[in-house]
Amino acid sequence: MNDLTIAATQYTPEVLMHTKGYVSIKGKSYPENTLEFYRPVIAWMVEWVANSPVADLLIEFDIIYFNSSSSKVLFGLFDLLNDAHKTRHVQVIWSYDLDNENALEAGEDFSEDFPELDIRLSAKKD
Amino acid sequence: VDINAIKKMTEEDGIVFLTYAGFLSQTLIAGMTDALEREAEHGRLGMTESTNIYTIFIEMAQNIMNYAKVKHGEGSKNKPEGIIVVGKCDDQTCYYVQSQNTIDLQDKLKIQTKLEEISTLDVDGLKKRYRELRKSGRDSHEKGGGIGFYEIAKRCLRIEYDFLPADDDRFAFQFKAVIAVKKEDVLA
Repeated sequence: MNDLTIAATQYTPEVLMHTKGYVSIKGKSYPENTLEFYRPVIAWMVEWVANSPVADLLIEFDIIYFNSSSSKVLFGLFDLLNDAHKTRHVQVIWSYDLDNENALEAGEDFSEDFPELDIRLSAKKD
Repeated sequence: VDINAIKKMTEEDGIVFLTYAGFLSQTLIAGMTDALEREAEHGRLGMTESTNIYTIFIEMAQNIMNYAKVKHGEGSKNKPEGIIVVGKCDDQTCYYVQSQNTIDLQDKLKIQTKLEEISTLDVDGLKKRYRELRKSGRDSHEKGGGIGFYEIAKRCLRIEYDFLPADDDRFAFQFKAVIAVKKEDVLA
């Protein structure tokens, strides 16, 4: 299994997925076809959870804003993380800009919807 | 075309800084979002307020684009046309995103049901319903997930809409989202 890297565009985030147990999704997310954009991301996650011998996963989100279909796909990704949490130690960091209430609220929503996951909301200071 | 007349009209209608009528594409939407971001920086809008405006604009523009694609397919003669305008309210306490596109009866009914439900909910109710729908719809493959209007509604002060009869059992769907930018002033 290989690392996966997707460069950011005007409307899609930068994605880094390292087999050693580190994932980062950073930027804006409003792809034209959200399912298509996130398909390799979800596939990588499913494969890593099924096959990786690594016990710890650190996943960082730093998403400035996203459209409603991205919101749905991210929810699906949290579902996967919730499954992974049963067999591994999963740490989620949800970064948001101190001035961006929407990004904070999105993180709070995920925290409430996935109470078993260890989700740390982390304010950035510029 | 009298381009000065267009300029005058946009100025009179409350500094409309962004308007487009025609074929909407993803690249165009991204370009318009960039322009909006600059406007927000220039107007020193807060990040919460400006991301509300971008998110609502993107949701409305992608709605028009996706709707046309689903209905007519790529490369169809029926282009994904719509009008979309972003402007500032006269009293400077709000922005608005306004759009119009043509839809058929079946979709009118679908949209109407959602918007009527939305009109009965307050902000907390909207946030709750949004999360319920996102959770229950996790396995559905509906493009946009069917939560787009809830996403818009929970970020704005109010929604206005209308369906005007057009030709062939179709309707001009008019939609307007008003976004507060100075909450204390608007509430006062």
